[in-house]
Amino acid sequence: MRMRRSEAGGGGRDRGGKKQFKKKFLFRKKKFCKFCDEKIKFIDYKDLRLLQAFTPERAKIFPRRISGTCSKHQRKLMQAIKRARTLALIPFTSD
Amino acid sequence: MSQEPWQPDEPGKREMLRMLQYETIFVTDPNLAEDEVDELVKGVDHLAASAKGKILKVEKWGKRRLAYTVERREEGIYVLLVLEIPTDMVKELDRRYRMNDRILRHLTVRVENEAQLGPSPMMKPRPAEREDLPVEPAAAL
Repeated sequence: MRMRRSEAGGGGRDRGGKKQFKKKFLFRKKKFCKFCDEKIKFIDYKDLRLLQAFTPERAKIFPRRISGTCSKHQRKLMQAIKRARTLALIPFTSD
Repeated sequence: MSQEPWQPDEPGKREMLRMLQYETIFVTDPNLAEDEVDELVKGVDHLAASAKGKILKVEKWGKRRLAYTVERREEGIYVLLVLEIPTDMVKELDRRYRMNDRILRHLTVRVENEAQLGPSPMMKPRPAEREDLPVEPAAAL
């Protein structure tokens, strides 16, 4: 996702085209907060399937810039993940 | 859990304290027998009852694999309780958990959502095990 900004800037300078930018990114799906979308107000630390979806592979918390979660829900998610971690329900790290 | 009576920090304040709902989980040594786990639950019940509190829900998740090794143990027995206790008892509950070396991990948090009073997500059958049930969109994620 970081690519997006730099590419857009570079493309703009080289080819001077907003068109180029539009062509490339017009149909990018807009990210949205899954929790806002489903109107989830409370994120349960016991809901492992949900938490695991946000702690992929190395069990690190999925960053907001990729998942699209809004800051409000990311905070709640973080809280839930940390609670689950202290109870050894989900790992802190995994290799 | 010890059976000694509990005294609030300032007995005079007793009447002013609010009763609140808390959710508490503890993870015990996997080698404990069923009745030893029940005894721990009874200990919490006894503590709560000493201040007119009560247990609203008991949920035993049974033996689960731990996500990481805790005190050289790979497994633990999980017990979830929902309690209604005076606010200052949380500290005491925490202290007793820490003193008990059969308890590996524990957590006590406020009940902030009604959903916590019902069966927890842990009690739901996994979609993989129940192929006759359609996977709900929330679970599919």
